[in-house]
Amino acid sequence: MLHSLILMVAQTTVLLAISPFLVGVIRKVKARLQLRRGASVLQPYADLAKLFQKQPVISTATSWIFTATPYIVFTSLLTAGLLVPTFTSQTPMNFAGNIIALVYLLALGTFFLILAGLDAGSAFGGMGSSREAIVASLTEPAMILSIFAIALTNGSTNVSTIVHKTALLEGIVTDPSPHLMALAALFIVALAETGRVPVDNPATHLELTMIHEAMVLEYSGRYLALLEWSAGLKLAVFLSLIANVFAPWGIATTMTPAAMAIGLLVYVAKTAALAVLIGVIECMFAKLRLFRVTDLLGVAFILALLGLLFFYILRS
Amino acid sequence: MLNLLWILLAGYGAGILLPLCLPRRPEAQSLTAGVPAIVATSAGVVLGLLGLTSSEPVTGSLASTIPLLTLAIRLDSVAAFFLFTISVVGLAASIYAIGYLRHLAGRASIATLGALFNAYLLAMTFVVLADNGVFFLLAWELMSLLSYFLVVTEHEKMEVRYAGLFYLIMTHIGTAFIVMAFLIFFQSTGSFSFETFRQPGQPLTEGMRNLVFLLVLIGFGTKAGIVPLHVWLPYAHPVAPSHVSAVMSGVMIKTAIYGLIRVYFDFFDGQFPWWWGFTVLFLGTISALLGVMYALMEHDLKRLLAFHSVENIGIILLGIGAGMIFQSYGLKELAALGLLAGIYHTINHALFKALLFLGAGSLLYATHTRNMEEYGGLLRRMPWTGFFFLIGAVSISALPPTNGFVSEWLVFQSLFLSFQIPTVFLKLMLPIAAAILALTGVLALACFAKAFGIAFLAQPRSAHARHAQEVPVPMRIAMGFLAAFCVALGIAPMVVVPLVDRVVAPLAGLSIERKVLALDGWALAPVNVEFSSLSTPMLALLLAALAMLGLGLAVALGGRLKARHYKTWGCGINLTPQMEYTATGFVQPIKRVFSTIYQPTVKLETEFLDESRYFAKRRRFEFHIEPIFEKYLYDPLVAFFATLAGRLKVIQAGSLHLYLTYIFITLIALLLLAV
Amino acid sequence: MQVFSSIGSQLIDLCSALLLLTCFAIVAQRRLSACVDLFALQSAFLVLTATLVAYLTGNQHIYIAAALTGVIKVIIIPRVLRKVIDRLNVKRELVMYVNVPTGLLISGGLVMLAFFIAQPIIPLGSILTRDSLAIALAIVLIGLFTMIARQKAVTQLVGFLVLENGLFLGATAATHGMPLIVELGVFFDVLIATLIAGIYTNRLQDAFDSVNTDRLTILKE
Repeated sequence: MLHSLILMVAQTTVLLAISPFLVGVIRKVKARLQLRRGASVLQPYADLAKLFQKQPVISTATSWIFTATPYIVFTSLLTAGLLVPTFTSQTPMNFAGNIIALVYLLALGTFFLILAGLDAGSAFGGMGSSREAIVASLTEPAMILSIFAIALTNGSTNVSTIVHKTALLEGIVTDPSPHLMALAALFIVALAETGRVPVDNPATHLELTMIHEAMVLEYSGRYLALLEWSAGLKLAVFLSLIANVFAPWGIATTMTPAAMAIGLLVYVAKTAALAVLIGVIECMFAKLRLFRVTDLLGVAFILALLGLLFFYILRS
Repeated sequence: MLNLLWILLAGYGAGILLPLCLPRRPEAQSLTAGVPAIVATSAGVVLGLLGLTSSEPVTGSLASTIPLLTLAIRLDSVAAFFLFTISVVGLAASIYAIGYLRHLAGRASIATLGALFNAYLLAMTFVVLADNGVFFLLAWELMSLLSYFLVVTEHEKMEVRYAGLFYLIMTHIGTAFIVMAFLIFFQSTGSFSFETFRQPGQPLTEGMRNLVFLLVLIGFGTKAGIVPLHVWLPYAHPVAPSHVSAVMSGVMIKTAIYGLIRVYFDFFDGQFPWWWGFTVLFLGTISALLGVMYALMEHDLKRLLAFHSVENIGIILLGIGAGMIFQSYGLKELAALGLLAGIYHTINHALFKALLFLGAGSLLYATHTRNMEEYGGLLRRMPWTGFFFLIGAVSISALPPTNGFVSEWLVFQSLFLSFQIPTVFLKLMLPIAAAILALTGVLALACFAKAFGIAFLAQPRSAHARHAQEVPVPMRIAMGFLAAFCVALGIAPMVVVPLVDRVVAPLAGLSIERKVLALDGWALAPVNVEFSSLSTPMLALLLAALAMLGLGLAVALGGRLKARHYKTWGCGINLTPQMEYTATGFVQPIKRVFSTIYQPTVKLETEFLDESRYFAKRRRFEFHIEPIFEKYLYDPLVAFFATLAGRLKVIQAGSLHLYLTYIFITLIALLLLAV
Repeated sequence: MQVFSSIGSQLIDLCSALLLLTCFAIVAQRRLSACVDLFALQSAFLVLTATLVAYLTGNQHIYIAAALTGVIKVIIIPRVLRKVIDRLNVKRELVMYVNVPTGLLISGGLVMLAFFIAQPIIPLGSILTRDSLAIALAIVLIGLFTMIARQKAVTQLVGFLVLENGLFLGATAATHGMPLIVELGVFFDVLIATLIAGIYTNRLQDAFDSVNTDRLTILKE
């Protein structure tokens, strides 16, 4: 019991600590590829600290939804983060929910963000909310199918169990194609859900292109800090998911301190590598028009479906 | 238990008679109708719970002088469950009505409305209790007719009369199919008693069984609003008074689910080929998806909710359909799981849909309009209604840790466990159904983000909304009651699952309570703890604890800075409600992405100033979506019957002698036939 | 019948799956030059598959076929096509008969169909892997579908080439490669077909000021 509690606290701390770092890595990679020096990878921490210190301004048009939303989003993402293994494959909260719970916890945050976008009564927020609604509705089927395709090989839909079994090589050994397709699908989903190019651009403040930034436009001070941190958390959750489900090597499968230490190092390395990849992608591709995003997410859905198909065909 | 039944009957009886006989003051009438209804429904709640927990079904019967009709009732666990659902929603609606009827004073007779409402609840109670075919049909017909009368309460409006007529026709077509199915049973058993339907002397032939399957599916499907038989539902449900809408959408359509379960799992004892289940699953998927899609385009709050009923019936059928498929492959545990998921969702939908309809009624009460574009900013004016509506919205969007999430999660699990089915086709189809369910879930989220966001947030969009006030206490109590249920059923599945399991166990042939509950009931782990698990109490606890962490972080890192309040930045000009995002604008991307389904027509007319083509004087924007089923399925049918009727007009000469001749010829023919 | 190590057959399956993935990318891609690049990538995967098959079966002539594929389909044909695109100055497909998400869904359906058709054939023996034949069939179907769904002559040509890639994959995977002489003939055919189609596209541009093949309906009068 105490053991689980310590692990939970550790995992929460790791997630909270690593998320600004991952954002920093992406920004740094982008800057370097654009031949800029770029800010230090630790800059996001300083940004957060600064935002927390600022006095928030709240619109008089808003209701309690507006001030409650940052806390709800932050909470739902942290809870989702506890369902995904990070440095150890046996997360204590594994029993609390499987992938469906994970997806719907993320949806809880999305729901309140959409509401908050509408609350201030400015057209920007409404536009962001409206776009978020369509992007979210297209990503989730692909996400559920892709993780399900992987879940089948391990006989479990609990993320931690999947990772633990894969790390110990206990799953059904099949050809790599279903995994490959599911990975591609999940990666596209991750880009869309975390608001990255080519779906959304976190660095823009141009009304034609904003999605996530438009929804949080009216926020300031500690509320904005919480939302920025949450955006980082979402990134961390998705990167942990991808890194640990598809490449669980090095993750701590036992409870010894040595294994945990190695697991932590490997975890940071893996997620940082994925963050670098995202940075490269952001430099290589242009942002898609909103109505072309459907093409991309359509690809993700079909890939996940094919992964599933291949799994069944290969096993029969 | 029989005493409770008598209390229930007496309550409804008093509720029918008292408002009609006693003084004519509206306040008194709403009380004389409401209080007996509250007593009766409370008795129904207790009776339902007792029926669920008792081991033997309670039966009783009264002979009648009408041939074939026996007033037989049987309270087994299935009936008890539905009785409980009806009574809980009926209770909330009755409390609500005490406050709400004031709003209708002057436009409708409150006494008649109250009496009809009690009779309607009574008819529904008998539908689920009936143990005899004729009695069942009698109650069914009574329920349909009474709900028709309630739908046309505001009959001076053309729209209401049209909706009522449409409903009346569709429901009778449905009833005709059910009658045919029961006649087939009667033909082979020689009795209308449900007992003989269960154990017929000579079993039905294969073809007859398939016929009965289809007849029952169409018959009950019409009432349930399964696509493509749903067309009447979004007309009829919204125009009724809101507490009646709540009961219609919340529980009346569930009597159809009751009928389906009764026939397939009870009368047929779960013996059927796989394609029965697949048909149900397929229709469920289509209903879920199309229901939510049409709901998204709807800006009349009550019509939006009515379309969501189509969606949720679809989700219930997904669970039941999956259960039926598993049943035909002999996967007993999974069959029980599918049924459990469907039935769990049945009560959940009853609760949150009733809550949302009551919320919509409160908005109607406060603003006198159903058009969402005229709401706005209501959360500050109606904090209680807003809060309860939010809980309903969160529940119907299946967000953790509310009840909608738990049952939808169970449906997902039963679809995922399809990998145990031996055929590859079904192995693939069920996960695809799960993906469509995921799409449905997120679209529902978008829809309720729209409904709540446009109605309750930002600035008021009309004078009605600006002057809105919080609704009377009884209405708030009713909504709060249902909202508390929604949360409780979400975080306490360990209480609900054993109860629902008692419904499922006799139908599926085994109890899976122990299989579904793990860790002393703290987690749900359908069939196999390894495969999946969910613990909503734990999630709720985590959410609460981490919210504290968030607050703590904000305080620790930022101190106690007081927020400054200022109006929203509008690029230098004052923001007016006209600049806010509208419901139409909100769903525009969705409309465009799914234009294949919506077939939208958009018309934009611009009138320019005479001086210059660069300045518009007036703009007119119009868009509507094609009601595919009405256009391509119902209109041709109607046209066909109209032509047919035109042809048959020849025999209607208007001459009395000719009609007498017809009767004469028919009589002779029948006599000859009898020889 | 030689039994291969499961790793070898898994690798072939993986390569075939990559071929299929590029197919989907082509269906989803609107830019003509990207379609051509993707085709080149697909051909490169094909070379990899063929080399693997050659190594595993020890059939020397498949090496030659693989090398020819590399030269013709990875280098020459894409170069020809890029030239055509440059000359025509058409960058992207704006109007399609079937929009992209629907096209993807149809392609997904085609893959399922291919697997269902190929399933009874697979146990008949003499096939290297379990699913590369089905994938080959799927690629053929998707190639054909692309030809139907797109308007521009260049993408139709890419569709045809994709179809041919599918045939080649089927041939190597199912029959350990056709006799060398047949393969040489096929390569020659494809090369000529591409050149002719390139010229035809240019003529189309000259005649109608467009490379939309639906303009050809005007010719009937």
